[in-house]
Amino acid sequence: MAGPEAAASVPGGGPAIEVNDLTVAYREQPVLWDIDLEVRPGALTAIVGPNGAGKTTLIQSILGLVRPAAGRIRILDRPIRDARGEVAYVPQRGTVDWDFPTSVLDVVLMGTYREVGWFRRPGRAERIRAVAALEKVGMEAYQDRQIRQLSGGQQQRVFLARALVQEARIYLMDEPFQGVDARTETAIVEVLRELRDRGDTVVAVHHALQTVPEYFDDVVILNVRRIASGPVSEVFTEENLRVAYGGRVPFLHAVSDAPVADLPES
Amino acid sequence: MLEALQVFLFDYTFRTVALGAAALGAVAGALGCFAVLRRQSLLGDAIAHAALPGIGLAFLLTGSRATPVLVLGAALAGWIGTLAVMGIVRGARLPEDTALGIVLSVFFGFGLVILTFVQRLPLASQAGLETFLWGQAATLMAADVQMIIIVGAGALALLALFWKEFKVLSFDGAFAASLGMPVRRVEFLLTSLLVVAIVLGLQTVGVVLMSALVVAPAAAARQWVDSLGLMVLLAAALGALAGVVGVGFSSAGSGIPTGPVIVLVASAIVGISLLAAPGRGLLAELVRQRRVGRRIRADAVLADLYALAMQHEDRRYGHPVATLRTMRHGEVGIERSLETLAEQGWARELKPGSWGLTPEGEKRARTRFLDQDAEHP
Repeated sequence: MAGPEAAASVPGGGPAIEVNDLTVAYREQPVLWDIDLEVRPGALTAIVGPNGAGKTTLIQSILGLVRPAAGRIRILDRPIRDARGEVAYVPQRGTVDWDFPTSVLDVVLMGTYREVGWFRRPGRAERIRAVAALEKVGMEAYQDRQIRQLSGGQQQRVFLARALVQEARIYLMDEPFQGVDARTETAIVEVLRELRDRGDTVVAVHHALQTVPEYFDDVVILNVRRIASGPVSEVFTEENLRVAYGGRVPFLHAVSDAPVADLPES
Repeated sequence: MLEALQVFLFDYTFRTVALGAAALGAVAGALGCFAVLRRQSLLGDAIAHAALPGIGLAFLLTGSRATPVLVLGAALAGWIGTLAVMGIVRGARLPEDTALGIVLSVFFGFGLVILTFVQRLPLASQAGLETFLWGQAATLMAADVQMIIIVGAGALALLALFWKEFKVLSFDGAFAASLGMPVRRVEFLLTSLLVVAIVLGLQTVGVVLMSALVVAPAAAARQWVDSLGLMVLLAAALGALAGVVGVGFSSAGSGIPTGPVIVLVASAIVGISLLAAPGRGLLAELVRQRRVGRRIRADAVLADLYALAMQHEDRRYGHPVATLRTMRHGEVGIERSLETLAEQGWARELKPGSWGLTPEGEKRARTRFLDQDAEHP
């Protein structure tokens, strides 16, 4: 419904994210090498690739969290520092200390900190929005819980709610399905589709190759270099995956055979 | 006793010193929470030790042993120490604990050399510089206390002002950066406040033990509460308590350095918290484990009773405790498990020494072990 209009509202109808000649190196070792990439607005895009392929680094480069050795990144045709309000980030949930003394609602409220601004605290309006975001991921009953009491799937949904409350147009997620239960996976997929139908753009690092065709519209196949990117139906091929994974593709048969969702996780 | 109380309430000098120690403990406790939560407890130790050469050099350069001068020197040296840690981690690619160890020992050693040199100078004014090693609250003047309170209040005001920034930085730095927050600068401010809290306490607690007053109240407070705000408030209160009690003991015990006494008090608070705090404490954990253990053992006996009942036509047939004990391979505490089952109404003693299931017990066994719906057996 709102999808096409919102997508068309990108200035000049250009890509949501545009990456040119991006090279990132850690201690002289290239992590990403000469990446060119365009992310379609209003679509769900997966980033896949073997361990050490630079998937997380790509996300963090787009967010401006790592300094590239070379390259240019534009978000909605702007540099990241002018597009902060349009971008929400869902880090891997394993990167934080879940024993931190805080509640579920408090974590979600962190998504409002940018607009609340310096020296001020989130108020009633922000609280209401945070609860609404928790409702979207089915966690409203847990708002006063200590975060250490959450299961892995619940932690992931709280992180997603924190991104939703930012009301961004582009969502960058690092392994949102990593180690979550089936119920959480369904809930997250539903939220992602809702975002897409609204015209928002989602880019997610994804590990389970067998669910790529079911969940995503576009895919970026990465292994330090960009192997391929585009619509899943065109570029998610055995050949491309073989190039990325060096011949040993986990669950490659799943890509061609139909009922892919039932296969065990890698 | 009454005399001690009188001293406590009415002696001006003691009140001044105790007030200073309380303010100091509160500031160190509050800011220590962030050091503990960010896993930087050792950084506090390195900063405190690194401050020592600053005190000596400040005295050498100015010839003054006025507290503000020495504290400024301490703060500068503490900061340089912190930068050195970061520099070693980034530049030399050594792990952080190694960098902390290097900075701590090198700066502290250098500080001891300067202090020894200063003590050999033919000056009258250098006396008392060595109290910075172990701390001597008795040397606190009214002006020193004033400085602690004013600077400490300033540090706490900044903490309140940048509360949500410090919070999100400590919980999820990458997310904070994705919000466009200048993470480096916020980090710099937070670490600076930690340096301030530490150097404020050097005269009272000493460079060797100051980090304990930063870490201990925070570690204790974490055991009792589950929100950052409460943790900071409680740590401030516990820090103030450790300061006041420490000063009290130290001045009563004639000449014991204040630092070690404060640390002992703070350690006692941590010890009690680790043991007794509800939820996270060891005692609470022990009680939980015992309860779980008792339930598991009772469940096993319930299963045995059910198995026996299935073998007998007469459900009201009693089974001797000895039989049940044999089924548990002679385990002790069968009686205890039977009592637990009786309390739940799942088993009863049919005649002395003989036990059987109640209808509820049978239902319970069926749902628990056979996964059958209790309503439709």
